[in-house]
Amino acid sequence: MLIGLLILSEYIFLEPYVAGHIPKGTEIGFLLIIVLSGLSALVLPMNIYRINILKNSSGKIGGSVLGSFVGAAAGACSCGPIGFAIISTFGSVGATSLAFLTNYELPIRIAAIGLLAITYFTTVKSLKIECKLNPQ
Amino acid sequence: MKKKGIIIGVIVAVIAIGAAASYSSSSVEYTNLDMSRTHGTVSTAMGSPILGDPDAPITIVEFGDYQCHACYNWFHTHKPAIYENYIATGKANLVFVDLAFLGRDSPTASQASYCAEDQGMYWEYHDLLYNSQESKIDGGWANSERLKAFAFSLGLDMELFESCLDSGKYSKRVQYNISEAKKHSARATPTFVIVGPENQQEQFQGGQPYSTFKQIMDNMI
Repeated sequence: MLIGLLILSEYIFLEPYVAGHIPKGTEIGFLLIIVLSGLSALVLPMNIYRINILKNSSGKIGGSVLGSFVGAAAGACSCGPIGFAIISTFGSVGATSLAFLTNYELPIRIAAIGLLAITYFTTVKSLKIECKLNPQ
Repeated sequence: MKKKGIIIGVIVAVIAIGAAASYSSSSVEYTNLDMSRTHGTVSTAMGSPILGDPDAPITIVEFGDYQCHACYNWFHTHKPAIYENYIATGKANLVFVDLAFLGRDSPTASQASYCAEDQGMYWEYHDLLYNSQESKIDGGWANSERLKAFAFSLGLDMELFESCLDSGKYSKRVQYNISEAKKHSARATPTFVIVGPENQQEQFQGGQPYSTFKQIMDNMI
């Protein structure tokens, strides 16, 4: 996810040569992508584990998937090929929603990180209870 | 007989008005444009004037949008080094072709740049737009009033500029550039086509760093 987001947000380029850069003024965006990817990497597997192994409710994975998806969508689609495809397909409606995602890129990413953090703590809490060894 | 004469008269009048309208619009749109200008496979006839030496062996064609943040980043972070080492030294020149797709103010900003070109200030206006870009797409920084204010700050003849912008004189020119960009599969801004001395071409997208341009252009020279 980290590599994918860095490519979509144009911090890494694969063609014509592999190159990376952090343009001046985009350092916060770069940092938020790293935090978002790190949290997603923690929260998603934890919830998949809960569902697969413990056969528990899938309620919390909704938060983690939503957080990861919204965080990834914000800013990843401004001037890039995804944005171009959205505008070409959906016209002015696509352009308006794209402008919203771009204009509020940082707040949306921070909200997504908040959502992932809440999901992380609630998942850890429930795992502590569910995985508690019964000494008897 | 009289009726026939009236009908023929009306038809002749309609044809005459149509011909006059099409002549006047084409003469307004394409004044001082070299319609045969191409760089590699890209028709740059409707694009910007050439920045740098027109006879430079390499041409960088930039498909861009004035509201695009990646274009802004490239303009401020990497273009200065490219200008200093390649354009100012006569090794390369640059043509900007509008791919104005991000919002309703994008095509207007592109049109305004050509209105500034009418008064010989294209690149000054282009630079001013990228220096004035704000973070919000269609947030008002490139609306018609602000575009006129930019022209005023450059000391342009406001009567000429306003009549040019309000009449939509260059809307077809911008549309042509957008279709030219799409024809070359430009699906993001900025997209670059670097055309070498033997018409060899390298196309890539994104506001890529100076090192990428250097590598490509040094291989071409």
